[in-house]
Amino acid sequence: MTTPLLRIENLAVSYGSVPAVNGVSLDVNPGELRVILGANGAGKTTIIKTIMGLLAPRTGTIVFEGQHNLLALKTHKIHELGIAWVPEGRQLWNTLSVLDNLRLGGWCVNDKSLVEKRINEMFERFPRLGERRDQVSGSLSGGEQQMVAIARALVSGPKLILMDEPSLGLAPLVVRDVFTLAREINQMGIAVLMVEQNARQALKVASWAYLLETGHIVESGPAAEVADKDSVREVFLGGSY
Amino acid sequence: MDLFLQQVANGLIIGSTYAVVALGFALAFTVLRVINFAHPEVFMVGMFAGLVAGTLYPAGGFLFAIFIGAIAAGLVGFLIERTVIKPLRGRDVLSTLIGTLGVAIILQNGMAIIAGPDPVAYPTLLPRKMIDIGPVVLTMRQLTNFGVCILLLGFVSFYVRATKLGRATRAIAERPDVAAAFGINVGLVCTVTIVIASMMGGVAAVSVGTLYGSAWAFVGLLYGLKAFTCMLVAGNRYFEGVMVVGLGIGIIEALVTGYISSSLKDAVAFFVLIGVLYFRPNGLFGSYSQ
Repeated sequence: MTTPLLRIENLAVSYGSVPAVNGVSLDVNPGELRVILGANGAGKTTIIKTIMGLLAPRTGTIVFEGQHNLLALKTHKIHELGIAWVPEGRQLWNTLSVLDNLRLGGWCVNDKSLVEKRINEMFERFPRLGERRDQVSGSLSGGEQQMVAIARALVSGPKLILMDEPSLGLAPLVVRDVFTLAREINQMGIAVLMVEQNARQALKVASWAYLLETGHIVESGPAAEVADKDSVREVFLGGSY
Repeated sequence: MDLFLQQVANGLIIGSTYAVVALGFALAFTVLRVINFAHPEVFMVGMFAGLVAGTLYPAGGFLFAIFIGAIAAGLVGFLIERTVIKPLRGRDVLSTLIGTLGVAIILQNGMAIIAGPDPVAYPTLLPRKMIDIGPVVLTMRQLTNFGVCILLLGFVSFYVRATKLGRATRAIAERPDVAAAFGINVGLVCTVTIVIASMMGGVAAVSVGTLYGSAWAFVGLLYGLKAFTCMLVAGNRYFEGVMVVGLGIGIIEALVTGYISSSLKDAVAFFVLIGVLYFRPNGLFGSYSQ
């Protein structure tokens, strides 16, 4: 058995006295793409923010690479271990140019030429971003902004990318691009933990899926099996799927 | 017309100082989300540090006094950040506001005990010399003060736009969580920001002390309120906006002094503030949504 890249055990997080996540355990193995499905308010974003050290849990452990206790680290140290975040709603630095957003993605990479090389690779992969490199990112379309958010995460050269609802608020055609991109990233050997409401698309690209309901994991298994569960079909895929 | 040009020139000179102090407020408010009411008193401390340096070591001249003013102000700013702002950050905005206000009162009255409550004569660091520029007559000290302030403003603009640390500063200003999640040590950048703002204040303060020939324990009140108003008028989205408003308020003040009455001068900034906030509550150049 390989050591999981990320192991969360018995995580509980509350906002004041309101519990958001309760007793969640999950693993992500190296090079794997896993998805957490859940409706609004199920606690998906809470899990992601807790991994990034932006929320403090009540109980539980989060261990990276079998040795780093993330709960003892500050957010900027967590990133240095190789975890990059694609936040919900993109959260670009809207007043900074596309190029500056990507440069900040490489903040922790000491080799400047490596950052430039990765940025140029991103501009080759997303030519539209290359054309708009000097534009402030706030002026881009939603789809373009999502590409910047993903590229920004990739420039840091991560081992694990946390994608928080990457399809949210995007046109259907762009949504397909985003999931294709998630698969490509995964094929580059980078592990991905994605949280999504778009179960149909997410289950196509993920190898393993968790179903989160009001802070609890209620289903867990290989994506194809989870897609067949009645609970998932009813809630996310439409009964007749 | 000559009076107009003369007053515009006078206004630019006083306005450039407002802009530097306002920028100190704006850096703290934008990056740390803190209203640092101690900032004008850091300016005051810098002014007295320059006075002491210029008096004890006159051979060092203007530049040495400025250097000491910057070091002293930077040090005081650093200590305030570590002891008051940092422990209170992340709580209510009011906590840091009251905390820094407390520091301001201590610094003001502490200096009044040491140096007395009245203005103290500044050493002659620059010669008294008139310079004619077309129809406008300015003193060398005025021109130097203007030059010093414009250099400081240019430095900040360059720093936040063209340096790696400056980019991180703007990233924290807009989204501190995301900045931390990309490995930026937010606490460290916050400290650096306060020290830079304080050192700039110290430099400007020595220049202002030289210009008016005196230092005063309560000088912070004079500049602090105006500078704070400038920041509110501009909004905190663009540092350059704060600079423009500082210069603009200075010019309007000088014109009011020249054409209406000098007793109205200090009210001008607040009329502008009320007018701007009525029509553009986020400031002339916009603010980050919180």
